[in-house]
Amino acid sequence: MKRLLLFLASLVTVSGNITAAVAETTLEKISRTGALTIGTRTGSPPFAFVNRNNEWVGFSIDLVEQAIMPIVAKKTGKEIKIEKKESTPQTRIPLLTANAVDLIAETMTDTQSRRDSVDFSLTFFATGAQFLVKKGSPIKGLQSIAGRRVAAQQGSTNARIIRERVPNAKLLEFPDQPAAFQALVQGQVQAYTNDGIQLAGLKAKAPKPDEWIVVGEFFSYEPYGMAMRKNDSDFRQVVNVGLMEAIASGKYFELYDKWFGPKSDVPYPLAPETKRFLQMQVVPK
Amino acid sequence: MNYRFDWSVLWSGQSGSWLVQGLITTIEISVIAWLVAVALGILSGALRTVSFAPLRWLANVYVEFFRNVPLLVWMFFWYFAVPPLLPQPLQDWLFDHGAEFWAGFVALGIYHGARLSEVIRSGIQSIPKTQFEAALSTGLTLAQAYRLIIIPIALRLIIPPATNESLNLIKNSSVALTIGVAELTFQTRQIETYTAKAFEALTAGTLIYLALCLAVAAVMSKLEKRFAIPGMIAKRQVGEF
Repeated sequence: MKRLLLFLASLVTVSGNITAAVAETTLEKISRTGALTIGTRTGSPPFAFVNRNNEWVGFSIDLVEQAIMPIVAKKTGKEIKIEKKESTPQTRIPLLTANAVDLIAETMTDTQSRRDSVDFSLTFFATGAQFLVKKGSPIKGLQSIAGRRVAAQQGSTNARIIRERVPNAKLLEFPDQPAAFQALVQGQVQAYTNDGIQLAGLKAKAPKPDEWIVVGEFFSYEPYGMAMRKNDSDFRQVVNVGLMEAIASGKYFELYDKWFGPKSDVPYPLAPETKRFLQMQVVPK
Repeated sequence: MNYRFDWSVLWSGQSGSWLVQGLITTIEISVIAWLVAVALGILSGALRTVSFAPLRWLANVYVEFFRNVPLLVWMFFWYFAVPPLLPQPLQDWLFDHGAEFWAGFVALGIYHGARLSEVIRSGIQSIPKTQFEAALSTGLTLAQAYRLIIIPIALRLIIPPATNESLNLIKNSSVALTIGVAELTFQTRQIETYTAKAFEALTAGTLIYLALCLAVAAVMSKLEKRFAIPGMIAKRQVGEF
């Protein structure tokens, strides 16, 4: 037993030492490898998903490719390619800190506690939590879920709010969107909560979209940001300048129209106040 | 690695009570599933050694069918595919009374029952045939010979591989988080959600699993010593040879 404890103690010490060893900045790493590695989702339309033609695409990925990559190329003076890896709410922070990816570009909500572990870009999308229910369901929002079975995604900020604000709702948490939606289809739960925009995306992808409806006022504020390793302000500057220039030049709104416009799969008009908020994040050159 | 460790997240806020709740759920689901697995394992393990072919065949089908499909698939099967086949009132009752827990221990118990069955069969088959004949010649029926002689001996012989299987069952209970059972791994993820401290939460989970499994292994090792049959299986000290 004593030997075992010693062994564990030495393991902890070794991992502690690794912490201090690596000191390459993200831009240096990108320049050396010639690739920017992003962590993104495969099942969160329209931000990041695998489409019918088996291409890994989405709004968040487009923002990286078309807004951030040109600035990265300019900064490093090299032709940089983009590599994508799958990240989930549970793996994205470890992926970043272990240097497996350089940037999380998906649907990650910027929060104060997450800012203790990673740095965020400026907000590139803002939404809030709602409910997806069957048409005709008595559930109309946060006020009517008491005592009912509600699904949420593990690791999401929404589950946390429900637990705090409606403790007597029967909350069931699933690791991913497909499992939660399956539980809703079969009646294991009566509602599924997630960010409104994601529910709209899910509804659009469902076999019979007309059977489902997104209800309720936003009961949370979910500003999406791109996450990076902490204390690497040069790289964060590159990401932020990329996003700011895209917003200022109108490129951002073109992409928005491509993924959320009236002709897209998930029409989701940009609220005037959201547009204003995005524009106000752009600081002068 | 550019990461600031902050171990205090494990005892500040609700983290501590979540870990305890998770540990309790893990123990609950593991114990119930273990009982199911042992019952099914003994039954099917014994049936696989009888001479009556249809029973042997039935036990074979159970073992091969359940052990050769991934546990994750069984979790989804028992949670998503089975409830719609039940009558509506039973379905509603289940959904209101933790259907995910039921599906979780049924999936875990039946899957590990199939694996345990092989362990028990090999235990039975390692018993000399003469033991069996002696039992029958004293006037015991076949069922009595199994119940009173063969299975008790087999169980004493198989403690080491059965320990292995039991530890696997405990660790596999973490798969139940895919259908929403709030067990230990689920709770470590929960802590990660609230605090964004993934490494600390995972380390806590790892140490708790390690402690739990070491405790079970220690108990089983005591049992093994206590019930060893001299001459058939003997626990030797290292270096005795």
